[in-house]
Amino acid sequence: MFFEMFKDFFKNRNLKRLKDERFKFLFEADVSGEYVVFDTETTGLNPKKDEILSIGAVKIKDNKILTSQTFEVFINNSCEISSESTKIHGIRKIDLVDAKTTLEAIPEFLEFIGSRPLVGYYLEFDIAMINKYIKPMYGITLPNQQIEISEIYYNQKIKFIPQGNIDLRFDTILENCLVPNMGTHNAVNDAIMTGLIYLKLTQGKNNER
Amino acid sequence: MSILDQRKLIESIHPFDLLDGVELDNLMGKIDIAYYVKDTLLISKDLVSIAFYIIIKGSVTEYIDDEVHNVYSSGDSFDADALIYSKTDSKFVVDEDLICYEIKRDDFLLLMQNKKIQSYFLQDFVSRHQNLKHHDTQSELTPFLMAKVKDIYLHKICLVDESETILYSLQKQQKLKAKVIIVKKENSYEIVTDTDLKEKVLLQSLSVEEKISKISTSGIISIDINDFLFNALLVMTHNAIKRIVVTKNNNIIGVLEQLDLLSYFANHSHLISVQIEKAIDVDDLKFIQDDLSNLITILKTKGVKTRYITKLVSTLNMKIYKKLFEMVVDKSLQDSCCLIVMGSEGRSEQIIKTDQDNALIVKDGVDAELFKKPMLELNSHLLELGFPKCDGNVMVSNEFWRRDVSGYKTLIKSLLSSMDENKLQILSILLDAKCVAGDESLLVELNDYLHQSFYARDDVLAHMAKAVLNFQTPLSMFSSFITDKSYSNKLDIKKGGIFALVHGIRVLSLENKIVLTNTVDRIKELNNKGVIDKNFATELIESFDTLSAIRLEAQSIDKDENYVNPQKLEKNQRDLLKDSFKIVNKFKKFMSFHFHLNMVV
Repeated sequence: MFFEMFKDFFKNRNLKRLKDERFKFLFEADVSGEYVVFDTETTGLNPKKDEILSIGAVKIKDNKILTSQTFEVFINNSCEISSESTKIHGIRKIDLVDAKTTLEAIPEFLEFIGSRPLVGYYLEFDIAMINKYIKPMYGITLPNQQIEISEIYYNQKIKFIPQGNIDLRFDTILENCLVPNMGTHNAVNDAIMTGLIYLKLTQGKNNER
Repeated sequence: MSILDQRKLIESIHPFDLLDGVELDNLMGKIDIAYYVKDTLLISKDLVSIAFYIIIKGSVTEYIDDEVHNVYSSGDSFDADALIYSKTDSKFVVDEDLICYEIKRDDFLLLMQNKKIQSYFLQDFVSRHQNLKHHDTQSELTPFLMAKVKDIYLHKICLVDESETILYSLQKQQKLKAKVIIVKKENSYEIVTDTDLKEKVLLQSLSVEEKISKISTSGIISIDINDFLFNALLVMTHNAIKRIVVTKNNNIIGVLEQLDLLSYFANHSHLISVQIEKAIDVDDLKFIQDDLSNLITILKTKGVKTRYITKLVSTLNMKIYKKLFEMVVDKSLQDSCCLIVMGSEGRSEQIIKTDQDNALIVKDGVDAELFKKPMLELNSHLLELGFPKCDGNVMVSNEFWRRDVSGYKTLIKSLLSSMDENKLQILSILLDAKCVAGDESLLVELNDYLHQSFYARDDVLAHMAKAVLNFQTPLSMFSSFITDKSYSNKLDIKKGGIFALVHGIRVLSLENKIVLTNTVDRIKELNNKGVIDKNFATELIESFDTLSAIRLEAQSIDKDENYVNPQKLEKNQRDLLKDSFKIVNKFKKFMSFHFHLNMVV
């Protein structure tokens, strides 16, 4: 209960700081019944220093990943892309020639997610990356409910191996959930795979179509 | 970039590879990924299909009447029929946790607007349903037997009262252009036919002013409109009548003429065979040829098993041979020779006319030269009728294949003594000989001689049998197809499978003195003689059937086509093909063991 109170308190405080009325919908109650899985590709792993290169997101409804409504955006920032990160996401400076600026891309993203709960792997990092931009722009941080799949996975695993060391690497979870690898690492593919893991972990024994 | 990955996946799945770039982009915007746990019921009689599923991972089982009908796994898709027809008799159940693409019903139907996609699914539908219907329509006679009287054109009747005069009745008949006059009596009907008019009016000089009832015949033979046409034909034949009155709820509604009945069946085999027998010259036969190819198309679309079509077509081709033989060979010579067909024709295993392999056996003591002219004529007629020329020149026009019985015996003897490739091939061709016209005893005599000569000649037999191992079966150790890269990833189904079966069975038949020529018949006989067990025999027949059917399919597009792309086959057909090749390998092992082929150089 206290927890709920705190949550409301923070949410309200967050709302009060909102500088741009356009994004008030982020604080409204969600009625779509959908979730949004999202993933970002960045220049590095430090939210303070590094920049977002692309955002990929898909909606989940019931047992379906709505790939028909995929969100994908590439962002061009002044920042250099380290060769280390290029190896992971395969985005080079040259690929971003036609990309959008943060000023265009972030509002589109917020529009897409609405007030839906967010699902992700190591979501904290991706949220921090988004917050890094919206905080100075609109005065707020993402108010959406957050669902961390590695946490759900951990909770389910720990029941069977108490005190065990649970490998929480993405590829391991993927393999354990028997989700096929959909190809290269990029924001949308990772979001789809994360979504599949989420469905696998939460659908359980629901065998209705 | 990333949507491209999903796109690539879809694009790799037939028939979506047929879509062009824009269409594919459109489609991608409509596809969702769904996840279903084991035992989810996806589609059933009561659960209408809402989407088209393409499996990414997992598997789904299709049941019909609680029997497993098909299993779908990664890369497979289902179920177009359920969407197109909004109903299904099948039940689709998730067998292993399923991740799949979903194209919603409406989007799928929209996609079907694309002709290529449409033809894929509709064709798929037809072939699958042919399988289902096999039980019902295995016989080529079925459509014939199923047709009803109401399916056919009926002639009007001319109904007159019994008190009318003959003149009035005839005038009315004229006006109505009716074939017969039906006379209505108080509680019954009677009939007046042309014969009645001739015999009772003209010959007996009866006045046309007399009452019609005076010449009418009682005891009308009738048939109900819902009865089978087949019965109508039986009734007509039985009563020796040319027309039959058709009733509906016991009211006379029309007349069925024998002529119409026969023309209705005109595209049916027995009629074609009658036509062949009635043919007077080659032009008549040419005309029939067209009917024959129509017949094949009709039977195919009606879902008749290829094995039956093959048999039927072979029989009709034999008749054509016989007819031509009677046309060109002088009557006095017809009993002094025997016309034989060999190769696939001899085995009754061809549907598309491949090479003509034929020969003439002349009675000892009759001059073979007498047959030179008629045989050249026969050959040219056959060419005219579309029987292609034989590349190996195994034709009656070739002197080599036109000799007397002792001539053939000498030939067989020479075959025994030398073992070169060429000679073995001649022997193989000769072994499939079947008599089509003339004196069959000549062929029987030769066959006896053949079997005697080869009796206990295991060395020669082994040498012949060795050819079975000539070509590799296109199946790898891990049961995947080996395709020919230089042949756009196709495999040769003739070399890879059919040849081994046909030839192996042929050699076994020679060893066991079996005179039958059809491969399936030979296998059955080998089983009867205890050479192979029942189980193996069934396996061999089934795989031979499958291989031939798949080959015929390819040949219906190009008659020389022996290459098949396994990826283009339907999944269950692909599985059948795989199983068939496994049986071929089993058979090769059996042959190696049976003839000790590892010891033959």
